[in-house]
Amino acid sequence: MTTADLVTVDAVSLAPALLPALGAVLVLVGDAVLPGRRSWQPLLGVVVLAIAAGTALATGLRSADDPVRTLCLPGPDGACLWTAGPATGTLQAGILLATAAALALLHDGARGPRDTTVTTTLLLAAATGGVGVAASRDLGTWLVSLELATVPVVALVALRGTRTASHGALTLLVTSLTSFALLVLGAALWLTATGDASFASDTVATAWADPHRRAVLLLAATVLLSGLGFKLSLVPFHAWTPQAYSTADLGTAAALAGASKISALAALLVVGQALVGAAVDTGSVSVVLGTLAAASMLLGNVMALRQTESTRLLAWSTVSQAGWVVLPVAALSAEGLRAAGAYVLVYAVATLVAFAAVAVVGPGALERTRGLLRRDRLTGGALAFALLVLAGLPPGIIGLVAKVVALRPAVDAGLWPLALIAVVAVVLGIAVYLRWFAVLLGEPTTGIVVEGEAGSDVGEDEAASGGGPVAAPHRGATAVIVLGTGILVLLSVFPGLLLGLLS
Amino acid sequence: MSLLLLVPAAVGLWLVTGGRALDAARARVVAAAAAGVALALAVAVTVARPDVDLAWLPELGVRWSFGVDGIAVPLVLLTALIGVLVSAHAWVDVPEGGTPATFLGCLLIVEAGALATFTARDAVLFFVAFELVLVPMWVLISRFGDRHDERARTDAGHRFILYTAVGSTLMLVGILALVTSAGTSDLRALAAGAGAALPADRQLLVAVLLVLGLSVKVPVFPLHTWLPPAHTTAPTAGSVLLAAVLLKMGTYGLVRLPVATVPGGFGRLAPVLAVAGVVGIVWGALVCLVERDLKRLIAYSSVAHMGFVALALAAGSETGLQAALFANIAHGVISALLFFLVGGLKQRWGSVDLTVARPALRETSPRLGFLFILGLAASLGLPGLAGFWGEFFSVYAAWLPAADRPRALFVGCAIVAAVGAALAAGYALRVARTVWVGDRPDPEAATATPDTHGVELVVLAVLGTLVVVLGVLPGPLLAVTADAAAFITGGGGR
Repeated sequence: MTTADLVTVDAVSLAPALLPALGAVLVLVGDAVLPGRRSWQPLLGVVVLAIAAGTALATGLRSADDPVRTLCLPGPDGACLWTAGPATGTLQAGILLATAAALALLHDGARGPRDTTVTTTLLLAAATGGVGVAASRDLGTWLVSLELATVPVVALVALRGTRTASHGALTLLVTSLTSFALLVLGAALWLTATGDASFASDTVATAWADPHRRAVLLLAATVLLSGLGFKLSLVPFHAWTPQAYSTADLGTAAALAGASKISALAALLVVGQALVGAAVDTGSVSVVLGTLAAASMLLGNVMALRQTESTRLLAWSTVSQAGWVVLPVAALSAEGLRAAGAYVLVYAVATLVAFAAVAVVGPGALERTRGLLRRDRLTGGALAFALLVLAGLPPGIIGLVAKVVALRPAVDAGLWPLALIAVVAVVLGIAVYLRWFAVLLGEPTTGIVVEGEAGSDVGEDEAASGGGPVAAPHRGATAVIVLGTGILVLLSVFPGLLLGLLS
Repeated sequence: MSLLLLVPAAVGLWLVTGGRALDAARARVVAAAAAGVALALAVAVTVARPDVDLAWLPELGVRWSFGVDGIAVPLVLLTALIGVLVSAHAWVDVPEGGTPATFLGCLLIVEAGALATFTARDAVLFFVAFELVLVPMWVLISRFGDRHDERARTDAGHRFILYTAVGSTLMLVGILALVTSAGTSDLRALAAGAGAALPADRQLLVAVLLVLGLSVKVPVFPLHTWLPPAHTTAPTAGSVLLAAVLLKMGTYGLVRLPVATVPGGFGRLAPVLAVAGVVGIVWGALVCLVERDLKRLIAYSSVAHMGFVALALAAGSETGLQAALFANIAHGVISALLFFLVGGLKQRWGSVDLTVARPALRETSPRLGFLFILGLAASLGLPGLAGFWGEFFSVYAAWLPAADRPRALFVGCAIVAAVGAALAAGYALRVARTVWVGDRPDPEAATATPDTHGVELVVLAVLGTLVVVLGVLPGPLLAVTADAAAFITGGGGR
C-alpha cells in the first residue's frame, strides 16, 4: 500500500523493460526445471525481445506531446522516473531488436557457446538495462541501468574462455570500471550543481544562472560525457574496441556494436535533453562533443583504412560511426538529438547485417569475402548493401539520408569546422567501405564460378572457399541478414518512416 | 514523370541483382528496351511537362518533387538519347570484368541518376540523385575499365569517387546551409527569391561551398585532376556517359544552385570562377598539344570546353547563361561522338597512342575518318558545327558581362579564352594530321582498321547529325532555354 502511495506503477508502460527481465527469469527457472535441454532458451529470448520491441514501438508511435509516464512521484508537479516519448520508444525497440540479433548470432551454427542459459540471461539483462536507461529521468535509475546494460557484455567476452578473450575482457572490464567511476563522479557533480537528483531542464537553467554552479555543472557534463565516451567508443576512449571485438565471439561483438551503442546513445540523449531543454548557451559542451566527434570520425576511418581483418575493420568503423552519432548532438538542439537517434539506428542495423554476413563467411581476413557477391548472392548482396549504407552512398539511400540528417543540425548551429571535418570523414569513410566492397566484387580466388550457373555452385563454392567450419546452416545469421536488409531497403525507399518514428 | 526515372532505375537494378546471370545477347535487348522506353518517356515529359510532388521526408520538409523546365528539357533529352546510344553500343563492344548484365545495369542506373538530378526540384533530393551515379560509375571504371593495367584502373576508380565525393559533400554542406537559413528546400522557391533574400555574408558562404563542391564535378581547373585518368580507363560507354552526362550534372548544378539561388554571393565569386575557367581553357589546350594518348587528350579537351562553360556562367548575363547551357549540350554531343570514335579506334588498334605510326584513317576507313574529322572540327569550334555557338557566345558574354561584374577582368578573360580557342585549333589539327592524314599508307596494314558499320555506324551517325544540326540551327535549342534563363538572371532578386 505504501509503495503505491509513493509512486505510481504502470506495468504495461514498463513492459519493454519488464519483459526481457521476465524472460531472463524464465530462462533461469526453466534451466532448473529441465536441466540439460537448452535449445529452447535462445528462441524464447528472441521471442520475448520481439514482443518487448513491439510494446516499445507502440510508444514510438505516440505523439511527442503525450509521452508514456510512470513511476511518478506524488505531488502536483511530481517528476516521473520513467518518461518515454516516441524517440525513446523507438530507441528502446532498436535496443531490443539489436539484442535479439546478437542473441541469434551468438547461438548460431555449430560453434555456439557452451552455456546458453548464461549467455541468454546475460543478453536479456543487458537489454533490460538499455531499455531502462533510455526512459530513465533520474540519476539513480540512469546509472544503475546503464551499468546493467554494460556489465553483462563484459561477462560475455570473458565467457569465451580463451586466453586472448579473457585478456580482452579484462581490458573491457577496466574500461567499464573507469567509465563507471567517471559517471558516478559526473552524477555527483550534477547533483551538487543542480541540487536535483534528476535530469530536469528547469534545475539546469537555475544552476546555469549562478556562475559558480555553472562551472560545476559544466564539469559534471564534461565528466559524464567522458564516461559515456567509453561506452560509445569515442576517441580518445576507444582503445578497448578493436581488441574486444576481435577476441570476443561474433555475437558478443555484435551486441557491443549494436545494442550497447544504442543504449549508450540513449543515455547521452537523456543528459542532452536536460541541457537542451534548459535553453541556455552551452557552447563549451558543444565544443567538447564536437571535438570528440571529429577525432572519432577521423581516427576511426584512418585506422579502418589499414585493417585487413573484417572484425577489426568493423571495430574501427564503429569508432568512426560513433563520431557521426555524436556529431548532431554537438549542436545541442532538439533536432540534433533526434538526428543522433536516427543515425544510431541506421548504423546499428547496417552493422548488424555486416556482422551477420561475417558470421556466415567466418571471421578473419577480408580476403575471405573476395568474390562473395558472385559466390553467395544473399550474403554478398546484403553485406555490400550494408557497406554502402555505412558509407552513405546510394543505393543505400538511408545511409545518405542519415548523414544529411546528422549534418543538418551542425550546419544549422553554425559549427563550420565540424561540418568541414565531416566532409573529410565522408570521403575517408567511402574509401574504407569501398575497399571492402571492391573485395566483395572481385574475382573469387577459389573455385571457378561459371556465370549463369552461379545458383547451383553456391554450396560447393562456399565450402571450398571458407576453409572454416561452414557445415552447419547459419539459420540465425541468415534471419538477421534477411530482416536487417529488409529494414534497410524499406527505409531507403521511405526514409520518412524512420524520422516519423522519432518525432 | 515517375516512370521516366523508375524504368531505367528498376531495370538497371534488376540487371545488377536478379538478372545478373543473363547473357550478353539478352541483357542488351533488355537494356536497350529500357533505354528506349526512357527516351520515349523523356520526349513525352518534355511535351506534357507533368510534375510529381509527394511528401518524402516530412520532418525535414523535403519533398519527392520532380519536374522539368527550359533548362532541364535539353539535358533530359540528351541524357535519354545518350542512354539509348550507350545501350546500343553493347552490340559493338561489351567490356570484360563482370557479367554483361551488370555492365548494362550500371549504365542504366547512371542514366536514372542523371535524369533524377536534372528533374529534381528539391535541393536535398537533388543531392541524393547527384550521389546516385557514384557507385555504378565507380563499378564501370574500376571493374570494366581498361584491361591493361589493373593498378591504374583501381586508382582511377578511387580517384573518381573520392574527388567527386569531396565535391558533393561540400555541396551538401552548402545546400544545408542554404536550406536551413532560407527555411525551404524547394528549388523554385529558392530561385524565386527565398535565397536572394539572405544576408550577403551568408550568401557568400553558401556560394563558396556550392561552387567549390560543384566545380569538382564540372570540373573546373584546378579541381580537374580526377577526370583524365577516369576517362582514360573507363570503358567506351562509361567515358561517353561521364563526358556527356555526368559533367553536365556539375554545370547544371551550378546553374540551379548558386547562380539561381544566391546570385549575390555568386556574383562576388564570379571573377574567381571566370579566371579558373580561362586557366582551364588554356591549360587543357596546352596539355592537348603534347598529350600522346588520344583518349586522355579528348579528356583534357573536355576540361577546356568546361572552362568555356564556367566562364560563360561567371559572366552573369542572360547571354552568358544561354551560352553556358548551349555549350553544355554541344559538348555533350561532341564528346560523346569523339569518345565513341576513340573507343572504337582503341578496340581496333589496341591502344590510341599518337606516337605509333598508323596508316591514314581516311584511306583505311573513310566513314570513320569522316566522322572523326567532323568531331574534331566541332570540338575546335568551327562555325556551322555545334561547338561554335557555345564558344562564340561564351567569349561574347565575357566581353559584355553583367553590370555588377568587373568589366576589365572579364574582357581580359575573353581575350585569353579566344587565344585558348585558337590553341584548340592547333591540337585538333595535330590530331587530324596524325590520325586522319596518317603515315604512309601501308598496303599490308590497310585491312587492320575495319571501317565502321552496323550499330556502331548508326550510333555515330546520330551523334554526327546532331553536331551538324545544332551547328546550323542553334535557334530552337536557344529558344527552349531562353525563358528559364531570363527567369534566373532577371527574377533572382538582383
